[in-house]
Parts: sequence; structure tokens; C-alpha cells
Amino acid sequence: MSVDLGFITRIAPTLAQGLATTVALAIPAIVLSALWAIPVVAGLMARSRLVGRITADYVELVRNTPVLVQMFFIFFGSGVLGFPLSGFVSALLALVLQNGAYVAEIYRGGIRSIAQRQAEAGVALGLTKRKTFAIVVLPQAIRKVIPSLSNQGILIIKDTSLAATISVAELTFQARLLADRTAAVFEIFFTLALFYLALTAIFAGAMRLVERRVRIA
Amino acid sequence: MDLLLTSAPLLARGAATTIYLSVVAILLATALGLVLALVQLYGGILLRIVVEVYLYLVRGVPLLVLLFAMYYALPYAGIALEPLAGGIAVISLYFAAFMTEVFRGAVLSVPAGQWDAGRAIGLTTPRILADIVFRQALRVAAPPFVNTCIMVVKGTSLVSIIGLADLTYVGKAIVERTLAPFEIFGVVALAYLALCLVLSRLGRRLETRLNYVH
Repeated sequence: MSVDLGFITRIAPTLAQGLATTVALAIPAIVLSALWAIPVVAGLMARSRLVGRITADYVELVRNTPVLVQMFFIFFGSGVLGFPLSGFVSALLALVLQNGAYVAEIYRGGIRSIAQRQAEAGVALGLTKRKTFAIVVLPQAIRKVIPSLSNQGILIIKDTSLAATISVAELTFQARLLADRTAAVFEIFFTLALFYLALTAIFAGAMRLVERRVRIA
Repeated sequence: MDLLLTSAPLLARGAATTIYLSVVAILLATALGLVLALVQLYGGILLRIVVEVYLYLVRGVPLLVLLFAMYYALPYAGIALEPLAGGIAVISLYFAAFMTEVFRGAVLSVPAGQWDAGRAIGLTTPRILADIVFRQALRVAAPPFVNTCIMVVKGTSLVSIIGLADLTYVGKAIVERTLAPFEIFGVVALAYLALCLVLSRLGRRLETRLNYVH
């Protein structure tokens, strides 16, 4: 068995198409998870016990079931209900529902780690609770959660590969098609792994830049 | 309701496969994770680099891709694994990386002063590790360890894609014939939820045991 480099250059265009779809799925999945997590964390920390209970149940449910089953549930379920969602939309929804819950927990941890003493300091300065949260707690909490957000983003990028199972033509899907048609599967999966490594490395690097940018000297 | 009753034995068999996979993979990933964490903490530079590269690869490549690579590519290298053995191997290797981070982080969280204290009262390095460092590290490791175990249970659902008849596979097969995705995937999701909740309950008991102060 030898690795054929010429072959890799020939499959690269097909994989690049898949890469475009993977990126088109990963970016909204990451952004929407980060946004959806805001109402979720608000619910988790709400004063109303009912709201807190319902949100906590939602978080428990999605965190303790596989995202693959959630994708199948949404994809096949929407078809039976009469408004079939595309594989892409189903995958995006499942990723956001699950990761939004994880990110909400990250936010909560960040807010908790700042809240007590800093909030007391804010009140001592005569700020209202709302103002304390907005200009004292939040700016510090955001800085604190960036590394965890980066990790979660990497997990999201990797989980976009599951969309291949509901026939979204992303990277893994394209690689599998190629593997079914040729015998050079070693080269295909080697290249595929490199693509994912590059994607996650670029994302992690970008997040480190953001982290450095917002750091307080 | 009828559908759920007739599907129950099939789903139960799928659940048995999922539980079997999860238990074996958790045990293997934990054992390997412990070894790799020790290598990272106390091993030679060469071994550490090897482990670091391994962790980097696993962190950046999806589990599904690794499963496909095992399924499609390994036979060409002359290694043909049964889907079950292959699935267990890949899942264990994948989550071993997460376990390594859990254990390494826990050991590193024990303050350096604890080492000095151990030396000051004349303990040898192995005794310090066993009686002081690891004992405290276990408490720190317990919650992320349970989280990783839950990730393993959820991760086993991917073996359905390489044709292993686990809970997800059976659920999907039934849905394809009956067109009742809500009922079937609902039950499948609840089964995973139950499994994971049992795990986190056990985890909480473990934590209280570990936090017991003599």
C-alpha cells in the first residue's frame, strides 16, 4: 500500500465542494448556538421557578440524547408532519438545539464565576442591578467564556459531519461517495481528516485572536 | 401504542447493544485515558509528543470520520475488524483522548504546595502521588468524568451508521418501515435519556463517596 499524492490532487476539488457545505453549515450552527443560548441561560437563571424548571428540563433532555437521534427526529418527523425540512435545515436545527444548551451552561458558569463579589461592588458604587449586570458582570463573563466557547465550536464543527447521514452533501458525505467509487480509500480519509484538522485549527486560531483582542492588559 | 408494543422487543435488543458498547467503551477509554494522562504528566519527552499528537488528531477529526476510516480504509491495510470490535476500538480510542484531558486537568489542579507538604513529612514520590495527589485529583475528576461517560453513551449512536444494530439503528430501521418517526425516535431518545440519567445519578453517588472526609 502506498499513498498516491497525484490522486489526492484529483479528489481535492470534490472534497472542496463538500468543504463549502460543511463551512456553510458550521458557521450558522456556531453563531445561532451562541445566540440561542442567551434566552436559554436567561431561562435557567430566571426568578420564576416554572421558567427555570422548563428550561432546565429542556437542557437535560437535549444534553442526554444523541444529536444524531435529534437530527433523525427532526428530519423524518418534519416529513410526516407535512412540511419536510431539508437535511441541511434539520441538521442545523438539531445542532443549534443541542449546542445551544451546552453554550447556555457555559454562559451560566461564566456569569456565576463573576457575579457575587463583583455584583456587590457594583451595588456599593450605587449602580442598579441591571446596570451592574450590563457593565460590570457581563464584560468580564464574556472574556472568561471564550476558551470554552472555542472548545464547543470545535465540537460543533466535528458534529456537522453527522449531517452526512441525512444526505447533506458536506465533506464526510463527499468522502464516502468517493470511497464507494474508488479503491484509494486511504488517501480519501487521510485528506478528509486533514480538511477537518485545518478547519478546527483555523477556528481555534481565530478564537485565540478574539481572546487576545478583548483581553484587558 | 400497538406499534410501540410490537417494536419494544427490537428496541430492547438495540438498547442492549448500546449498553454493551457503552460499558466496554467507557472501561477501555478510562483505562487508556489514565495511562495517557500519566504519560503526559510524568513520561519522557518523546512519549509526551506522541500522546500530544494523538490528542490533537482526535480533537480535530470527527468521530464519524474515524469510524468510516476504520470501516473503509483499514481492510485495505490488511486489517479487517468486525464492526462490533472495530466500533468499540474507535469509540474507545476517541473518548480516551477526552478522558486524558479530564485526568490530566484533575492532577494539575492539585496545588504544588501539597507536594511540598508531602515531602516535608518525609513521604516518597509514589506515596505522595497515591495518598495525596491522586486522592484529591479524583474529586476534581469525578464531574467531568461523568460528563465524558455521557458523551460516550451518546457517541455510540454513530455505530448505527456503520451498520451495527444499536438503539439508533433499530429505531431508524423501524421508522423506515412504519413511517412513525415521532413515536419511535421519541422512545429512542427517552431510552438514551434514561441511560444517561442513570449514569449521572451513579456519578453523583461517586462524588459524595469521594468527598467523604475521613
